[in-house]
Amino acid sequence: MSEKIKCDHCHLAFSQDVMIEDNGHYFCCNGCQGVFHLLSDQGLDTFYKKLGDEQLTPPQEQYEDSINFNAPAFYERFVSVNKDGFSEVSLVIEGIHCSACVWLNEKALLNMDGVIATNINYTNNKAKIVWDDDVVKLSEIIDMIRAIGYNAYPYDASLQEEKANKERKDYYLRIAVAVFATMNMMTIMVAQYAGYFTGISEDVKHILNIGEWVLSTPVLFYSGWPFFKGMYYGMKTKTVNMDTLVATGSLLTYIYSIYITLTRSGEAYFDSVTMIVSFVLVGKFLEALSKKSIADTLDIMSQHLPSDVKVIEEEKIVSKNVNDVSVGSIVMLSSGDRVALDGEVIIGSGNFDESSLTGESEPIFKQKGESVISGTVSIDADIKYRVTKDYANSTMSNIVSLLENAMNNKPKIQQLANKLSEYFSSTILLFSLFTFIGWYFYSSNFEQSFMIAISVIVIACPCALALATPVATLVGLSIASKRGILFKEAAQLETMAKADVLALDKTGTITQGRPGVVRSEILKEFDISMLYSLVQISKHPIAKAVTNSIYTEKLICYELDSLKNIASQGITAMYNGKMLAGGNAKLMQTIGLNVENSSEYSEFYFAYGGELLAKYELFDMPREDVKESIQKIKKMGVEVIMLTGDHAKSAKKVAQMVGIEKYESELTPEMKAIYIERLHKADKTVVMAGDGVNDILALASSDIAIAMGNGSDIAIEVSDVVLLNDTFSSLYDSFKISKRTFRMIKQNLALSLVYNGITIPLAMAGYVIPLVAAISMSISSLLVVGNSMRIKLGYKD
Amino acid sequence: MDSWVIGMMLGVSVFLGSIAVVALMWAIKKGQFDDQEKFLNSALFDDVDELNDAARVEAKKKEAIKKKEYKPE
Repeated sequence: MSEKIKCDHCHLAFSQDVMIEDNGHYFCCNGCQGVFHLLSDQGLDTFYKKLGDEQLTPPQEQYEDSINFNAPAFYERFVSVNKDGFSEVSLVIEGIHCSACVWLNEKALLNMDGVIATNINYTNNKAKIVWDDDVVKLSEIIDMIRAIGYNAYPYDASLQEEKANKERKDYYLRIAVAVFATMNMMTIMVAQYAGYFTGISEDVKHILNIGEWVLSTPVLFYSGWPFFKGMYYGMKTKTVNMDTLVATGSLLTYIYSIYITLTRSGEAYFDSVTMIVSFVLVGKFLEALSKKSIADTLDIMSQHLPSDVKVIEEEKIVSKNVNDVSVGSIVMLSSGDRVALDGEVIIGSGNFDESSLTGESEPIFKQKGESVISGTVSIDADIKYRVTKDYANSTMSNIVSLLENAMNNKPKIQQLANKLSEYFSSTILLFSLFTFIGWYFYSSNFEQSFMIAISVIVIACPCALALATPVATLVGLSIASKRGILFKEAAQLETMAKADVLALDKTGTITQGRPGVVRSEILKEFDISMLYSLVQISKHPIAKAVTNSIYTEKLICYELDSLKNIASQGITAMYNGKMLAGGNAKLMQTIGLNVENSSEYSEFYFAYGGELLAKYELFDMPREDVKESIQKIKKMGVEVIMLTGDHAKSAKKVAQMVGIEKYESELTPEMKAIYIERLHKADKTVVMAGDGVNDILALASSDIAIAMGNGSDIAIEVSDVVLLNDTFSSLYDSFKISKRTFRMIKQNLALSLVYNGITIPLAMAGYVIPLVAAISMSISSLLVVGNSMRIKLGYKD
Repeated sequence: MDSWVIGMMLGVSVFLGSIAVVALMWAIKKGQFDDQEKFLNSALFDDVDELNDAARVEAKKKEAIKKKEYKPE
């Protein structure tokens, strides 16, 4: 046994006699040796110095042909041309462990002729590569990445993801300016207020005012630009919105303050200009931050479909892109594969997992002549099937396009604050106009009337109104997240509080999603290890449930002979010369045992040597806390409906168990969505909770979609709310928190309206002294923030 | 003059501060904060070679653009 040494490329240690020696260097495999020489030739061997002691994955060799990447269809989908005429592609690079890997990839690619720029993101391993397509082809670039020991595959960096990033960056820039100016403004205001109380010379005050003017200008016109844009779009559609109020309010205050500064008469309000813009901008940014892009969801969705299938052409197996497979082709499918295209089985048989369509985990047996559906998974079937629909018309592609449609048309309920601000803004603008007219007739002094009219707008500072919703929802969101409830968007709290109907999926949401043993009956004493050895072989959920229920550490796994899996019946095997059989009543009849099928649950029988030994009854039981939670949710005035793809009998049973009166059974994914659409038509706000791929259409069309934490990743992506701790009681909690938050929002809005109701008449009468204005502005904002904190009361944990 | 001094100090400090803000904005625009890991690791990769490489890439890009423009269609 010789000493272990490290491979010079990947740094994995092996014993010396299995290593390849090469000029004093040692390699674990040809792959590593090849990469090492390539790097030395390219002058990139400083990579190893940068790598330090990190270990790499040795390069692998079996990749699909890179020539595929040059196909026009591929270019059309993934490659874009930038303004300089260069091609651009987004890749995900596999095998990046450390910063040295990023360095190596960037250097190796930039050393190639024709590659203009590379940018690899270390955090998510996504890379953007720009190259000149006349000089070098994409396949050569991918070959280079593979040659240095990594792998790359393209992804669709759709416009929406890009757009979201750009929007976020834009906010960063505007907020940077706003925060800088606001903080400087605060220091100046310390001097101003101190001066107001203790006396300040006119000259100094004038200089401070000019300093404020300089600071507030970029805030208003750069940071506040989105509000002016919002006002412009609002005017185009003839609506008055929050943006209108913020924009006119801050602009008029700004102009008023300039006038004060130049005429040296009274107090300037440049500080409130920057404060309003900064606060409301940060509130807007928080909302934008939590918004997710539809693009990401669809990306994950398409990952659920294989991109290549094995097609049999002229006795040979060819790997083909799904888009190129025509109707009538024969496709080979091995166990564990996902079906990419709809078709009809011609050779072979086996079990399929159709949970993505029905939500039921029970495998479905398919044989010659039966149809296979895209998106389902072969559990143990090795079959050949004839394609009956091309990729674009296959079931799963249809679901993807329906989903895209549903997500783009998701109903938007207008938020209370927005609705209110519409009236509020127009009322304030009208008031100030009347004030001006009234004062002008009364005093005939244009300047004075104008000043008073402006002070009405300044006093009706939209700060409190604009903060009412964001602060309350932020507190609501933080409480929810502490309890394992993740709201993806702040506005959803309000929508959820207005919910009329809660639609629930059965399997996996109300129930645990897999059968469990509810009753067992041992008819005759026997060696449990025999049963264990038999059932632990099968992947069938019933066999798994039995295995779990009988498992103890003492059990021994016997050697069994001539194992047989009899589809939709059970398993048989030989042990000590006698036959072991485990399965349903049908299997028992086949081996000559007569059992009566009396139970309303699924049954599992176990026999040895022609003698019935045990009987188990299984059922997919509801989760523990479902019944009480549903009671509480009903008490809130929310109607609860169950939608399931399962047959009527078991739907009725579960509905009775948990106390739901209204249920719909045997629904396809599309029918669930249609059902929700019907509720929408009846003017109901619908919350849908589900967990599986079969629920995604319904989830996407509901107002609020809730996913269970252990649900499929697509369901989680589509949803607005995720219950991370996967308990049913957090569903009730999410209702409770959202209702509470909404109540706070209403209180906040009422508070700011009451405040305005008192101060606006004062301002109209011309009684506003600067100190009152400044103090009342901050007090109204403080009141709103303080009130929002009350949501936390009663949530001590 | 008191107020003259105050004015000058205010101006200078706001000017200096705004230089920092403009620098920050430039960095955000260039995408320097897009990848926090890379941003931190870049301290490891800043020797002479890296600078030369960066200059070479710039030159290469310019040349490629030039070639594209003069290309007879």
